Amino acid sequence: MSTEPAETRRTTRVRRRTPPDPLHPPDPLHPPRTRAPLNPLSALDPRSLRWKIAALAAAASCAVAVAVGVLVHTTTYDWSLNVGRATALQALMSKATGAGGGDVSASASEDPAALPPELLRQVAVGKTVTWYDDTKPDEPWMWAAVRDNGRVLAVKMDMGAERRSLQALDRHIVMATLAALAIVMPLAALVAELSNRRLRRVAGTVRRIAGGDLDARIGAGGRTRDEIGEISAAVDSMASALQERLLAEQRFTADVAHELRTPLMGLITSAELLPEGEVTELVRDRVGVLRALVEDLLEISRLDAGAERADHVPVPLGGVVEESVRRTGLPARVEVTAHPMADTDPRRLDRIIANLVVNAHRHGRPPVEVSVRGTTIVVRDHGPGFPDTLLAEGPRRFRTGAKERGKGHGLGLTIALGQAQVIGAALDFANAPDGGAVATVRLEAGTRD
Amino acid sequence: MDVRSGPQTRVTVLLVEDDEVIRKTVGMALERYGYEVSTAGDGLTGLELFREGRHDLLLLDVMLPGLDGIGLCRRVRETSLIPILMMSARGDSLDVVSGLEAGADDYVVKPVDTGVLVARIRSLLRRATFAPDREPASEPASEPASEHGPDDSPQPASRGTGDLVFGELTIDTQGLEARLAGEPVALAPTELRLLLEFAAHPGIVLDRQTLLRNVWDYGWDGDSRVVDLCVQRLRKKIGSDRIETVRGFGYKLRR
Repeated sequence: MSTEPAETRRTTRVRRRTPPDPLHPPDPLHPPRTRAPLNPLSALDPRSLRWKIAALAAAASCAVAVAVGVLVHTTTYDWSLNVGRATALQALMSKATGAGGGDVSASASEDPAALPPELLRQVAVGKTVTWYDDTKPDEPWMWAAVRDNGRVLAVKMDMGAERRSLQALDRHIVMATLAALAIVMPLAALVAELSNRRLRRVAGTVRRIAGGDLDARIGAGGRTRDEIGEISAAVDSMASALQERLLAEQRFTADVAHELRTPLMGLITSAELLPEGEVTELVRDRVGVLRALVEDLLEISRLDAGAERADHVPVPLGGVVEESVRRTGLPARVEVTAHPMADTDPRRLDRIIANLVVNAHRHGRPPVEVSVRGTTIVVRDHGPGFPDTLLAEGPRRFRTGAKERGKGHGLGLTIALGQAQVIGAALDFANAPDGGAVATVRLEAGTRD
Repeated sequence: MDVRSGPQTRVTVLLVEDDEVIRKTVGMALERYGYEVSTAGDGLTGLELFREGRHDLLLLDVMLPGLDGIGLCRRVRETSLIPILMMSARGDSLDVVSGLEAGADDYVVKPVDTGVLVARIRSLLRRATFAPDREPASEPASEPASEHGPDDSPQPASRGTGDLVFGELTIDTQGLEARLAGEPVALAPTELRLLLEFAAHPGIVLDRQTLLRNVWDYGWDGDSRVVDLCVQRLRKKIGSDRIETVRGFGYKLRR
């Protein structure tokens, strides 16, 4: 049982980086899912609703059986006592009148010493009494006694047969209850399974939607109208609303991207064609800033739209980080320990590392050090460190902290954080005790474990 | 900017782009790099120009009035194996994937500066003009016979000098063509280059990053969808079971 969660986790991981197969090419609009929010409950898990319902049915059956059993038991017991009492009295009567030898089962005794003291005490009142003697469970007796002319006349009847038949009745009730349970429990589990199957379908669909398959629907139409049908319909309409909104936002972002990038590209290529000179340098610099800003804003709006999906592949982490740092064109010392492999999205990781390194250069002071240990990447500089507000609240757009920290629009860390969320990594900001900002990316953290 | 490190024989690029500034400036920039550029402002004019003249490379914008870039790409691919580079301003999956599905070899997202654009064009042209005797050392696919000699395995059997045989598929690594059951298969440069990469490592799993690096000259920043879609196109041409998907890793060529 203890290995089960690990088992489930492994299967979800394997599923996550599903490569395209020949029969089912990858759906480009819905790339492989990045998150495994809920592990499906195993059918044999005792926490499964099926077993809960079966247990409930069993408990109900048991309660009914116990109630009926107790009722039958006491009624039968009372009835047998009444019959015994009547028979004993009748035997006593016939004894007293001397009409006959009495029942075979009734034996008379006139010796007060031989009579049980409890009977004697009751009979002292001076009328006919009966007393059920069950002090010895194996041989119960029904006594009937009367004080006649100072002497006590008593008969006792053997109640063993009644006692045994009562025990047999109890046994039958228990057996009938067990038989009923043997039928009711599997039946309840089976009936629960029908609902469970529908519930599992709901859970599976929700999981698929969370994983990025926005076309997933439960399709509850035509089913029996009950609470499960209701929740299915609710989930479906929620998914439709979500899809509509997401698609609208994606469309808007893509349209904005097109509208911004087209003139920007003309601007960039025109600026490249300008004759070299001081003014050209100024124009190119500003065009570069504008381009970076537009790209950052577009990236953030894509991240905000929630449409971004990671494409996980196994990559050598050291190589990816080194290349990413090299491409920024900024000096940074990269230290890789043990050359680990990681299952991540290299393009998004590149965005994270590049933004962290650029940020370290822009707001901190060199040397900028990047270290890769296991699946943890640390980017640190030797500047004044992150401002307190950033440490407390996380990165904010267009908030670059203290003025002396230099220029920049403060989108880099927002992007790094957003991309980290997409690939399921944790990104923490801290300041080193000896000064300098420390950003730590943990790939195996966050939603992935 | 007098960088004239372009090719010795003038390479002609057909640029189809509706934005006038981009059309003019990219055209001028490419001319500075030594390319001959003809331009069209919409898809149908582009198709006309393409049919009239001889071009070495097609540079297409996705969003075009009339016939859009994807439609134009599809029309061109019906008759030609010319290298096609797509430019997308939206950069979303729909543009990129449709373009690659339609037969584009690679894509760039606007805004792209001339340096990057020229690098992509060069990489694409290298694939198109790729020949084993020209770049022997840097291209592992050019010498598959030496890497997998006769003692390696009975298949792929070397037939003649540079023929590799995989079932019904024969790849002539010298003449750079592929035949399926004797019939020549029309492979676009990137597809051929990808097939040669697979053929150089038969039965060995190649991950997408390796393929991106070796075929498309990308680093870790490359988009693995480019590989996936090119493999899909290749499968349509040489039989879908020839290239196997190895879940979680990549692809391999079945011996």
